[in-house]
Amino acid sequence: MANVAIRDVIKRYGSVQVMHGVDVDIEDGEFVVLVGPSGCGKSTLLRMIAGLEAISGGEIRIGDRLVNDVPPKERDIAMVFQSYALYPHKTVAENIGFPLKMAKRPKAEIAEKVNYAADILDLTKYLDRYPKALSGGQRQRVAMGRAIVRDPQVFLFDEPLSNLDAKLRVTMRVEIKELHQRLGTTIVYVTHDQIEAMTMADKIVVMRDGRVEQIGAPLDLYDDPRNVFVAGFIGSPSMNFIHGTIAGGTQGRVFRSHEGLELPLPPTAAVEGQEVTYGIRPEHISVGEGGIPVKVVVVEPTGSETQVFARSGKNLIDAIVKERIRARPGEEIGFRIDAADVRLFDRKTEQRI
Amino acid sequence: MQSNKLGWFLLAPTLVVLFFFGVIPFFYVVWLAFHQWNPFAVNPEIVFNGAANFRQLVFDQGFLASLGVTIAFVFFAVTTELIIGYALAQAFMRDFPGKAFFRTIHTLPLIMAPIIVGSIWKLMTTPSIGIIPQFLDNWFGYDLNIGQSALAAFTVTVIMDVWHWTPLVTLTMIAALVSLPPDPFEQAQIDGANKRQIFWHITLPMIRPAILATVFIRLMDALRTVDEVLMLTGGGPGSATRYLGVHIFKEVFPKTNYGYGSAVSVIVLYLTIVVCWLLFVALIAPRNKKG
Repeated sequence: MANVAIRDVIKRYGSVQVMHGVDVDIEDGEFVVLVGPSGCGKSTLLRMIAGLEAISGGEIRIGDRLVNDVPPKERDIAMVFQSYALYPHKTVAENIGFPLKMAKRPKAEIAEKVNYAADILDLTKYLDRYPKALSGGQRQRVAMGRAIVRDPQVFLFDEPLSNLDAKLRVTMRVEIKELHQRLGTTIVYVTHDQIEAMTMADKIVVMRDGRVEQIGAPLDLYDDPRNVFVAGFIGSPSMNFIHGTIAGGTQGRVFRSHEGLELPLPPTAAVEGQEVTYGIRPEHISVGEGGIPVKVVVVEPTGSETQVFARSGKNLIDAIVKERIRARPGEEIGFRIDAADVRLFDRKTEQRI
Repeated sequence: MQSNKLGWFLLAPTLVVLFFFGVIPFFYVVWLAFHQWNPFAVNPEIVFNGAANFRQLVFDQGFLASLGVTIAFVFFAVTTELIIGYALAQAFMRDFPGKAFFRTIHTLPLIMAPIIVGSIWKLMTTPSIGIIPQFLDNWFGYDLNIGQSALAAFTVTVIMDVWHWTPLVTLTMIAALVSLPPDPFEQAQIDGANKRQIFWHITLPMIRPAILATVFIRLMDALRTVDEVLMLTGGGPGSATRYLGVHIFKEVFPKTNYGYGSAVSVIVLYLTIVVCWLLFVALIAPRNKKG
């Protein structure tokens, strides 16, 4: 087990720079999720930690060792690929035992460790099978087994659940988290799915265009997004954003959208007349008398909650409420917003105010 | 029903051609193998002689010697082609300046007719006029004479076959390597395998079907090599390069011994099937059974 330190890492392909000085500190035993839209550089960063991709600048340390020029096989890491990357010509047992065989461990030790991993992952019945005779979830577990037997310093996961169906994904999510709790090994996990990030991570690294946008615990990112991108990326459904300005009203300052919609403001450093983006999460809006008048567009009941899309002027606002709403499209209802739940961002810089 | 009829209609020309030029000659040869037939002899009748051709074959020193040198020829030629072909394929997987040019150039031997290849090699290896004996003599003081040395003649036929057919192996190996998924190889690096281990444990098993298919093709071709060798050495010196194809040719055409030649052909076909079947059983079948 080890910590991982990523310092000012840069990646260039020819003259094109795709990674612009990334800094991430990963503590020993931490479960860190790299998340971001596709093309943000999260997989590249993971592959650089693995040593599959050379870095053009900066440094990466695993434990106390600088690994910039250390080949993958000497980094003492294990990796699970999105495609699982099983060896098709080897049985499950041979696949799991492969790293040990390469390390020239005695046969008895390999058998023992393979059985141990198979036991943890519920693969004992399938040890003699070939990958083609396994389901997606089983293949996924074989790939994890191959990582476990190594007892590596760091586990790397590259979108390991993307090829599974929705139900299995939830199950495997729990299994991976459980595995982390049991083994306590440092994990770096890449995903584009913010729910996976929120549910599994000790720490989330949100990336965009080769830069780190924000690093923090899941709920910290949810509560205190540093900018519009993080606010919109974390949380599902996504935060509502309304553009407008700060205006002086009869009862103190308010936010006034370009269509003239007036919304309550939290205490803020924003000055009057400043162009801002007003952010409010759907789950922080309640429906009731005396709220902001909006026209219902669509009501989506899911049983446990109801999602209401409503329009005020040009702005489509999304709200999620616990009660069951029986409003019809076109009907007017009131959205109530608690000023404390509002996040304000500068319109130009998109940074939190 | 309609599409079925149309299918047969479209297949018909091929089937007719195949029937007249493939099926009939095949059974004709099998049938001839049990007969004595010298069409240009005093008595040109086709006479049934049972298994006499095959009995003669078993005790025919010429045939047995031919079988021996053929096996050696096929073994050395195909093995060398596989090794060089794989190495070239790996080289062509990398990027280097002029790659497309060299890849095209290196396939040129494939489009040459065997008889031409034989002629060129004969020109190049004939003592006194050939470029190869000339250089060997100048540089190493080695006197290459494929008309006298059995080993030299054998070696040159192997080299000629390697020169002619390695590009085919390279092409199939490139096709196999290109179609490999990259992930298991990166995984193997992470799993701590070095280059040699990756080759033996990952690359080789994953391209095994392609290797086997290539070996089958080359094996069948090499077993019936005739024209190149006939052109180059005429099967000599002595019977040093009298491979089965050459042997059959010499039995059938100069000696006009059609029945006996047919029997040898049938045996060569049988041998080819047996060897391919053995290879298949040894290399592919166990894996499928376990899976």
